[in-house]
Amino acid sequence: MPKKDSKDKAPPRALEVVGAPPAGRARAGQPEGSSGIDFESVRVLARIAAEFDLEEIELNGAGHLRVRRGLRDGGVTPLLAPAPARPIGLTPPVDSADETDGAFVTSPFVGTFYRAASPETPPFVDNGQAVRKGQVVCIVEAMKLMNEIEAEADGRVEEILVKNGEHVEYGQRLIRLSKS
Amino acid sequence: MGIRSVAVHSTADADALHVRFADEKVCIGPPQARASYLSIPALISAAEVTRADAVHPGYGFLSENAHFAEVVKKCGFQWIGPQPEIMRLMGDKVSARATMEKFGVPTLPGTGVIETDRDAEEAIERIGLPVIIKASAGGGGRGMKVVENKSRLSAQLNAARSEAKAGFDNPNVYLERFIARPRHVEVQVLGDGTRAISLGERECSIQRRHQKLVEEAPSVALDDERRAKLLGVARKATERLGYQTVGTLEFLLDEDKQFYFMEMNTRIQVEHTVTEEVFSVDLVREQMKLAAGEPLKLPADIRPRGHAIELRINAEDPVTFAPSPGRITALNLPGGLGVRVDTHIYNQYLVPPFYDSLLAKLIVRAETRPAALARLRRALAEFVVEGCKTNLDFFRRLLANAEFVAGKMDTHLVERM
Repeated sequence: MPKKDSKDKAPPRALEVVGAPPAGRARAGQPEGSSGIDFESVRVLARIAAEFDLEEIELNGAGHLRVRRGLRDGGVTPLLAPAPARPIGLTPPVDSADETDGAFVTSPFVGTFYRAASPETPPFVDNGQAVRKGQVVCIVEAMKLMNEIEAEADGRVEEILVKNGEHVEYGQRLIRLSKS
Repeated sequence: MGIRSVAVHSTADADALHVRFADEKVCIGPPQARASYLSIPALISAAEVTRADAVHPGYGFLSENAHFAEVVKKCGFQWIGPQPEIMRLMGDKVSARATMEKFGVPTLPGTGVIETDRDAEEAIERIGLPVIIKASAGGGGRGMKVVENKSRLSAQLNAARSEAKAGFDNPNVYLERFIARPRHVEVQVLGDGTRAISLGERECSIQRRHQKLVEEAPSVALDDERRAKLLGVARKATERLGYQTVGTLEFLLDEDKQFYFMEMNTRIQVEHTVTEEVFSVDLVREQMKLAAGEPLKLPADIRPRGHAIELRINAEDPVTFAPSPGRITALNLPGGLGVRVDTHIYNQYLVPPFYDSLLAKLIVRAETRPAALARLRRALAEFVVEGCKTNLDFFRRLLANAEFVAGKMDTHLVERM
C-alpha cells in the first residue's frame, strides 16, 4: 500500500518546490555565495508541477524525488528513487476512477497479500504471464484464512502492484492486467 | 492520551474528516454497512494488520453487539466497552427489565416474553390499557405498537412479531404499560467493575419517531429530591451489575413524575456531550481509562454547574424530515464562550446517502437554562450549511415554542408543533 507521509490537515497549498538536484550548474546573474539552487531545474519542475496539477514536489540531495497531488484526490505517490535526469514518472492515485488502460485485480478484504500459496511454492503469476478468467493470481490472507483471488477476465499480467507480505485494504489494486 | 488511532472506513467514507486526522486508516469494505461497518471479519482483520491494541466501537453499528465484543477479546484485543455478558443481559429488553426489577429499580408494569395471545390478554387484565408491544431484541424505539383496545390485540401482536423477526432476527415480544405523554430522562453511569457513580441525568424528550433531536443536562423535570433518588437507584444498579466503563440507564417519567426503567445502553451515547459540559469530565477519556482496567477515581458527589443543551443537526428536509445528502458548498460554525460543535463535516465534504443523517452536534453551555436558550438562538443564527438541506430551521422554530422554552415538554411535543 502506498506509504502516506504526514497527515494533511492544511488545505492545498500553493505550489512548493523544495530542495535542489545535486548537479551544480553555472547560471547567469547568480549572486556570490548564494545557496546554489539550480533555478533551471526548478523551472522545469515548476512546469511539470503545473502540467500534472501537483501540489508539491520535493527533491533531496540523495536524488530522491517525491511528488504530491493534493488533498482532494487523496492521491499520494510513493517515494520514487530515480536520478533527477530521468523523466518523472507519476503513479496515478490509487482511487482515480476512470482508469481504462488495464484491468485491475483488487482486494475484496483487509488482509495480507501473498504471491504464492506458501513460502516454498512458486508465485501464482509473473509479469508478462497470460491468465484466464477464474485463474488464481494471488492470495489475500484475512484472519488466518488464505483467500484465493481470481482474475475476473482473460488478460496478461502487466504489473504486480503490491509487495509480497504487504498489508492491503478493501478495494486496493493488487495486480494490473492488460486485456489480452 | 498519547494513543495512536486507526480509522476504519468504507469506500464511501474515504474522505471523512476523522479518516484524515487519524494516525492510520484502513478501508474495510463497500458502502453497504453489512459488508463493512457490520463485518466482523473485516474489522478484526483491520485490527490485525495495523497491530492495534484495542477496538473502540463508537455508537451504533456493532457497539452493543456482545458477540462482536467476545470476538474482539478472543482475538487478543482490548474491548473499549463493558463485559460481553452484561451487554447480552442488557441487550435483551426482557432480561434487562427482569434484572432491574430484581435490583429494586422501578419498572413499568409489564410482562416477560408473550407466548400466546391468551398471555397477552391476561397481562392486559393485570396492567390495564393502553399497553405497548415491544421487541425483546429491539431498542431505540423501533418496532413498537400501542394497543388501545383488545379487538386489535391479536393482529397487532402478529404484526409486531413479524417486524421483530425482520428487524432484529428475533420474533419475541413483550408488553408494558403505555405512558401517553412521558418525559425521557436518562442517567450517565460509570463503573470499574467494583464501584460505580452516576454522573447526572439528561433529558431527551424532544424526539421525532423515537430519534432524539435535543438533549439537555440537567433535566428541569426533576426537583432535587427526585433527582437524588433517580441517581441513587441508577448508581446502585450499575454497581450490582459489576459494570465496567460507561453506560446509560434510560427512564420514562409519567405525568406524576414517577420514573420507570426502560432500557440500558451499554456504550457511550451521542449525547454524552452535555454531561461533559456541565461536569467538566471527558467521558471518552474516562471510558478508555476504565476499559484499560483503571479504578474509577471520580468522586460520587460531583455536582454539575450550569445548563447544557445539544441539538442534532441532521442532513434532512426541515419540514418533511426526508434525508438530504449532497456536497457541502458553504459552512460556518458558530463559536464563542460556551459554544461547542462536534462534527465530521467540512466545506466541500460530500455527505454520503448510505448512513445516518447526523451532520453535527451543536452544544451550548450557560449558567442557567434561559441563558443557554439565548446562547443557542445566537449560535443557530450563525450556523450556516449550504449544499444539503438541514433541520436548522426546525430548531429555530423549536426555540420559539412556548412549551419547550418553559421546559414543559414530553416526547410528543414535536408532533404537536
